[in-house]
Amino acid sequence: MSNEIITLGIDVGGSYIKAALMHYSNNCTIIDKKCEKVRKRNPSVLSEEIIEYLLEKNNLKHTDIAYSASTGEGEMVTRKTGHFYSMTTHAKGGQFFFPEARTVVDMGALYVRAIKINHEGKVLDYKMTGQCASGSGQFIENISRYLGLAIEEVGSISLQSQNPETPSGICAVLAETDVINMVSRGISTQNIIKGIHLSIANRVIRLLSSLKAESPIFLTGGMAMNTGMVQAINELKTESKYKWDITTNDDAIYAGAYGAALWSGFRFFKLKEKKSIIYAA
Amino acid sequence: MKNIDQILEHCKELAFDLEFSYAKNWKSAQTDRVLIGYMPIYFPREITHAANALAVGILGTGDRKQIIKGDAFYQSYICHIPRGIIELALDGNLDEIDGFIFPSICDVIRNLSGTFQILKKGKFVKYLDYPQNFLSHIGGKFYKTELLHILHEIQKINNIEVTPEKLNNSIKLYNINQRLLKEIYNIRQEYPWRISFENLYYVVRAGMVITVEEHNKILEDVLEFLNINNGEPMDKIKVVISGAFCEQPPIGLIKTIELAGCYIVDDDLLLGSRWMKGDVADNTDDPLNALSEAYMNLSTFSSSVYSVGKPKGEQLVQLIKERNADGIIFAAPSFCDPALLDLPVMQKACDDANIRYISFQYNENTGQYKVIKEQVGAFSDSIKLWEDTVSS
Repeated sequence: MSNEIITLGIDVGGSYIKAALMHYSNNCTIIDKKCEKVRKRNPSVLSEEIIEYLLEKNNLKHTDIAYSASTGEGEMVTRKTGHFYSMTTHAKGGQFFFPEARTVVDMGALYVRAIKINHEGKVLDYKMTGQCASGSGQFIENISRYLGLAIEEVGSISLQSQNPETPSGICAVLAETDVINMVSRGISTQNIIKGIHLSIANRVIRLLSSLKAESPIFLTGGMAMNTGMVQAINELKTESKYKWDITTNDDAIYAGAYGAALWSGFRFFKLKEKKSIIYAA
Repeated sequence: MKNIDQILEHCKELAFDLEFSYAKNWKSAQTDRVLIGYMPIYFPREITHAANALAVGILGTGDRKQIIKGDAFYQSYICHIPRGIIELALDGNLDEIDGFIFPSICDVIRNLSGTFQILKKGKFVKYLDYPQNFLSHIGGKFYKTELLHILHEIQKINNIEVTPEKLNNSIKLYNINQRLLKEIYNIRQEYPWRISFENLYYVVRAGMVITVEEHNKILEDVLEFLNINNGEPMDKIKVVISGAFCEQPPIGLIKTIELAGCYIVDDDLLLGSRWMKGDVADNTDDPLNALSEAYMNLSTFSSSVYSVGKPKGEQLVQLIKERNADGIIFAAPSFCDPALLDLPVMQKACDDANIRYISFQYNENTGQYKVIKEQVGAFSDSIKLWEDTVSS
């Protein structure tokens, strides 16, 4: 086998399943990618469908994939070579997008995690939000649904806010009650949404602060695609004493899948070197 | 060979039957049959077998029964397993059991034997103490006396005299049982994907509530299945679990560990099933003495029992090397004195031997595995991606 192989990474998240096919070599490139919202579908079946779609579209067979790996809720993916922990894959994926990054913030549906990394994408330290739902992308989805908005439009609506109204508490249940009160008080949708974004952004800043985050910082996960969220984080950063350089990418939601595909390649050659039974299989 | 799925399903039903239906049916088939309940740490089931009794492992209730009465007997800082056992006793699940053996696991279990006596459960309750002196004429003699006491209690119930021939025969059967289990573990060390640890656990645990003859047949079938090249290998690290010898982790936790990127290649769960490191002499004039010598010279290590001249940390490191494992998961029940008191010693031995490990605590009815999944996932990745040692 040559030193160029094809790997597959699939990231099963709380709201979205993301998959990427990669040419793994000294200069890794993405062959194709796909992202699907889970909605109320079976994640296991959907994962399989996404993989089949990518293979068929690119005229590939399962046997052409040297190593396939899941991340996130990986047990939902039955056919794979290995599984990597989501923190490890987001760290590597973040570094793929932005090689200079020394901190990656994974902002997903269920939690936010700040990860300090080295130049190889190795995790050095991390901090994450607790069990509370109000620091997660799922919370924004819930609020947008109450307000009759599509999740795709909350970012741009948030940018239109002039006078944001932040929820008083950090508890998702109380915050949702707050939002109902705001609506009855006639607060505009833009200001409510911006307030919610600022509330989560405040948590992100505190997370980065407690991690003693190093710049530059790269944002990954579904919430990183939300322009309103990124704007809110940058605004709060400017107000604070921190001089972090914070950036993201339009495809940042794929960071976990890219990371899984990258580690797949790394692991493939390591197993080959060790003449492992997994490699032979 | 029987259908493996049917065997595994049968084992799962047996393993978690809180009514002990198999044992009750077995007893009802003959009038002189006796049921002896015992807790999971080492108890030589050979003596009950020879006395026409079935040793029934009592492992608590796990996450399958709500504990109400049991909580009234124990303070909040006591582990979960005795609560479940009390609950079973007070709900009548153990009524058919004639006698109870409580091996010397810890103070809590010693007191549980006293509680059973006060509750007048069974025809006898025996607190089985282990020798702390490993000289034959002192510790060996003491241990033999303990076993004789149990045999006399069973004889009082069914009037069956245990002869050396009967006991030698029982020892032979349990030697076969131990050898089969060892072979299964050895194959699984090389090819852990051929049977999940969850399924292996059902197979081993079933053996605690059925006759050794039937368990040997099951093990032979499982072994035959394992010798066939089946299943797809996955890139996972190999780990040994340590500290879970008494209160058992819920199945969800076991599954979580394997799903998070580990193959469990050895463990101390259900330790009483795999206690002996070699064959017990099965052709002597004094088989009780053979059992006693086996306890002192062939038994494996555990936080529950005294070990002299063979530090437990060294024995754990030796096990890791034998199993070619990548690391250790110290999983101990909350408030488990023996496991948690030994933990620093074990960890020091691992540090000295440059062996990676993580540790966490659980209850037999733990229902949330998210944190453990994160911890095990990070552990697996740290070894796979940043260590030279890989599972092969």
